[in-house]
Amino acid sequence: MLSPEFGHFCLVLALVVSVVQIILPMAGILRDDARLTYFAEPLQLIASAAIFISFASLVYAFVVSDFSVQLVASHSHSLKPMIYKVTGSWGNHEGSLLLWIVILGLFGMLFVFREATSRLKTLTLMVMGGITLAFLAFSLFTSNPFTRLSPAPPDGRGLNPVLQDIGLALHPPMLYLGYVGLSVAFALAIAGLITGQVTRSWARITRFWVALAWSALTAGIALGSWWAYYELGWGGWWFWDPVENASLMPWLAATALLHSVIVVEKRQQMVSWTLLMAITAFSLSLVGTFIVRSGLLTSVHSFASDPARGIFILFILLGAVGLPLFLYALRAGSLTKGSDYALLSRETGLIINNYILVVSTFIVLIGTFYPLALELFTGAKITVGAPYFDATFNPVMGIGIVFMAIGPLTVWRRGMVGSARPALLLSGSVTIIAAVILLVGSGLSVAGIAGIALTFWLALSIGGDMLFRLRPWQAGIGARLRLPATQWGMWLAHFGMVIFLTGALASALFEQENVVRVSKGAEIALGHETLIFDGVEERIGPNYVTETALLRLFDRDGNLKDGLYPEKRFYPAERQTTTEAAIRTRLSGDHYAVLGDGSAESGYTLRLYHKPLVSWIWFGAVMMAIGGLIALYRRPQKAQRVMQPEQVPKEAE
Amino acid sequence: MARSLTHFLPLLLFVCFASIASVALIMTLSGERKLSELPSALIGKPVPVTELPSLSNPQAFIKIEATTATPYLVNFFASWCAPCRAEAPALAILGKQIDIIGVAYKDKPEDSRKFLADFGNPYRAIGIDNDGAAGLNWGVYGVPETYLISKDGIILKRHAGPIDGDILRDEFLPLIRSLQDRE
Repeated sequence: MLSPEFGHFCLVLALVVSVVQIILPMAGILRDDARLTYFAEPLQLIASAAIFISFASLVYAFVVSDFSVQLVASHSHSLKPMIYKVTGSWGNHEGSLLLWIVILGLFGMLFVFREATSRLKTLTLMVMGGITLAFLAFSLFTSNPFTRLSPAPPDGRGLNPVLQDIGLALHPPMLYLGYVGLSVAFALAIAGLITGQVTRSWARITRFWVALAWSALTAGIALGSWWAYYELGWGGWWFWDPVENASLMPWLAATALLHSVIVVEKRQQMVSWTLLMAITAFSLSLVGTFIVRSGLLTSVHSFASDPARGIFILFILLGAVGLPLFLYALRAGSLTKGSDYALLSRETGLIINNYILVVSTFIVLIGTFYPLALELFTGAKITVGAPYFDATFNPVMGIGIVFMAIGPLTVWRRGMVGSARPALLLSGSVTIIAAVILLVGSGLSVAGIAGIALTFWLALSIGGDMLFRLRPWQAGIGARLRLPATQWGMWLAHFGMVIFLTGALASALFEQENVVRVSKGAEIALGHETLIFDGVEERIGPNYVTETALLRLFDRDGNLKDGLYPEKRFYPAERQTTTEAAIRTRLSGDHYAVLGDGSAESGYTLRLYHKPLVSWIWFGAVMMAIGGLIALYRRPQKAQRVMQPEQVPKEAE
Repeated sequence: MARSLTHFLPLLLFVCFASIASVALIMTLSGERKLSELPSALIGKPVPVTELPSLSNPQAFIKIEATTATPYLVNFFASWCAPCRAEAPALAILGKQIDIIGVAYKDKPEDSRKFLADFGNPYRAIGIDNDGAAGLNWGVYGVPETYLISKDGIILKRHAGPIDGDILRDEFLPLIRSLQDRE
């Protein structure tokens, strides 16, 4: 039943259905015939189902190791553990593209089930059908995952040890949930441009899908960075690599969208800007999806690229980005409304938030593509690395944090929350005093102190906001705790940012490291702690041999804390060597040891770190993602009306 | 009118971006976009004499001089540069054939040392170019970048970007061999 041919057939079927999904409702809208527009929904469900079956066939081929399928033969192996056989089905260009389409089908299906039938819904489904069509065509015409191989080889070639990793296996689906989830907001924006009715209810619907996609994207990026941290053994967690930038850009744009759509929902302002952000966010995820596949940019973790696919990709990009932007240029003017808010207001705060996020998106965009442009004009091939981003991205984000602290304390239209001024003054002065003390008393750089001060201030202002809004010292806390879920989600997400920044700053500023070349028995100092090197042992793994360094970690009082065993693995079948860092993770920080080259005679190179609070980086990101998910929950409309009427407009979200 | 024109701005930006991407793609497809060769004002000219603090001993200095006994390579690298990791195996091979002087470009010395511990040290000596002044003198576009210099201090070749297997085999090794045969 689940043969590759059947999977291939389902993919073609989905393509045909997508065409009909565009044409029938379009005819229905033009002729004002509800019988035709009605088809959009069942057709989306059929297309989704066909895509799911197709993907199931591919996974099945991997599970049973059907090496007559080319993709399986080149990316799987009968000796692989089952979990990696399954995840291997999307660990390659063709399979990951199919996974992308599966998630698109999933979102289409969810959209059909969740939203009430309307003209907006029909138009949105048509746009989603268009996206599905483009990707199915890309998959079928340039990257068919079901191509047969004859004769079938006795076993597969895909036993790449670096790719057998759970972080790597889970990272693309999560990231794609974010990338593809943004397609719903994109389709809604185009539908809004066509109908010209970007209303409160449009914003409410869009906000749900943006928050969902944003949460997934946040989690996906965090997972990718965590994988790079523990698997690549470079000791860092972010490398400003094109592939990483490609995921950061849609995240920044989606963050801007997540905030601006609130303004549309609450105040009917920033309408055309929000539409632009929705188009931009998904366009950047398209760019992100394609950067790694087109051979335009080189990266440490890209798929094998093929320029012939690049042309197809370029056409998809032109259609999927150019047409909506053209539509935007024509229609956005009629959607713009005069502003009616004061300078100090939540509207202004969110506009500044959006500008800062857009500027930082541009910084990343320029840093990623400037080398390409320069190469074209001058022929020079260069890398813009961390120094560029440290000098540009970080300061802009710093300014962003200032407004992140003030913004939530403002109210719509005019002014601030009553208690905000004293709270801000107090937290501001405490922060400044602390920063001055640090500046005089510590050897930290000004940039480092600025980072600490900003993070501290952000934490204080979120805490102050919560305290003054909930007023736990007054009676009736129960009623005040019944804030909208969006408020709790916002607090959690913003506090996640504090935790993230704390981890990022602490691990950068207070890192202890020591690179040494030592022989057996050596004592190595790492901050206040000491490690003793007991030599290197050869061990034999299931399909590799290792050199394992034996290290004992002692605290400052000389008590044994733990052993660290960094490895160098050699996989004879693949003739490949991998480094396995030994990481001892604690909430207070990680000990990280990497074994470099060497021999018993000349000694071994060891790289040792203590990275304080580094795991907070990922905790913070997870908190942000959960905050986004909490904000999805909405109390039924009736229950909201029961609340005191004066409280509702004040309720800042 | 002015207001509606601003709404064309995103489209305009996108068109610029798309044209650059298209040209790049078409050039890649037609095989024209081969970026190994770089025109340099310095090719055929003497090396800019450079003196940099040594990475292994901050009190000492590395001098890139006009005349040496043998031809050599100058390689600009940095720990923050991902392609530099990619060219480490090629440099390891080259390091066995010819002296390589490394210049750690806009990099913290401790980061450079860490990088070398991880990816191997193919260099005979390494200079620290903390502020990028030497890079400016040499006209470095970015890292990695590699120069081949004859024994009388003339720049013979410049390669921007990582040295991969093909470039190593087709360009550097034959050129180095022919230089060494002439000795």
